[in-house]
Amino acid sequence: MERNEILNTVNNVFIDVLDDDNLVLTEATTANDVEEWDSLNHIQLVVAIERQFKIRFASQEILSWQNVGEMVDSIAAKLNL
Amino acid sequence: MEHPVNYIYNKIAVLNPMHGKKLKKNIGFFDDGYYELADAFFEKYTGILHAQNKTLDYAIDCYLQMIADVNAETIEFLRTGKYSSTTFEEVNQRVYARPETMEYYMHGLIMSQFLWKHHYQVVDFFIHNLPSYKGETKSYLEIGAGHGYYLSKALEILDDKTSFTVVDISETSIALAKDFIKDEQVEFNLQNIYDYNSDKKFDFITLGEVLEHVENPLQLLVKVNDLLSEDGVLFLTTPTNAPAIDHIYLFESADFIQDMIHVAGFKIGKEVDLLTEDVSPQRAAKLKIATLYGAFVKKDKSVYL
Repeated sequence: MERNEILNTVNNVFIDVLDDDNLVLTEATTANDVEEWDSLNHIQLVVAIERQFKIRFASQEILSWQNVGEMVDSIAAKLNL
Repeated sequence: MEHPVNYIYNKIAVLNPMHGKKLKKNIGFFDDGYYELADAFFEKYTGILHAQNKTLDYAIDCYLQMIADVNAETIEFLRTGKYSSTTFEEVNQRVYARPETMEYYMHGLIMSQFLWKHHYQVVDFFIHNLPSYKGETKSYLEIGAGHGYYLSKALEILDDKTSFTVVDISETSIALAKDFIKDEQVEFNLQNIYDYNSDKKFDFITLGEVLEHVENPLQLLVKVNDLLSEDGVLFLTTPTNAPAIDHIYLFESADFIQDMIHVAGFKIGKEVDLLTEDVSPQRAAKLKIATLYGAFVKKDKSVYL
């Protein structure tokens, strides 16, 4: 799976969990840029992304992401890209 | 003067922006009644903290430590559909027998009383309905008094001649409740409720967020039924889908709680089922969002136990 494909898939998960069809993510997007991305939704996003990619994040990873790009890094590493 | 809760919200927004964002959604909901109760609560609590050479900032750190636990438990819950602990002994080893965990957990829970909308809403439900039982309540029992806030309100609302009894398994809770209420009228029993026996029957029993902490909540409700006087009232609260480091029994929806209340020989009077997040009921079900159920119940005399 290409990196931009991962980003697109993550974008679709965000749209579903945050219930916002107009949401467009870039690798630089942070929680500050997305109003509904709060601590509750962060947890929902983490678990939905795990299900989507059939992967499992470690607790430290979940806390360490500064932006969507770092989230994509974690996913790519687990998919052995 | 700035409301203490605003100071707390602003501090949390700096220390944990994602959680701060979530909490700030509550602010629009809070009315004058909320600020009146919350200001009095935090004034008292800050005094208790100062007496222990602690500050409100210390309590905020404790709260955020508890939130980190809740978040980790929630992720595990969404992955597995289960709470991570299933026995009392497991929770005892993990939480109750660890003073350093109990310390931040208790302070975190105290803070949540007025930081979480549903905790405020359910205490508001209690405060508004308790006066209607004042006339018949000569004896009040609270099982698991926690930080003592419900008890302090019962002391304010009920008649001066009412007897007040607390049974709590935690020394930490009893010490905090004593600090909170400073009232010698209350008899405290450091005891497991299953070991508590009394010839006296109580006219009003409060069982706030206890059922989720035991392995067999039905057994506890039956015990409570036995401690309640013939026309007595039980006020109980318990959450659904609410993973936490010390929660054992999972209620998947209010229906399961209501069924258990009926099986234990009670009939339900006024009740609430409060969503813990600002989402539609449909989304709440889809995302398994916790609710906090609360009800005033009485013995169902048509049932023979």
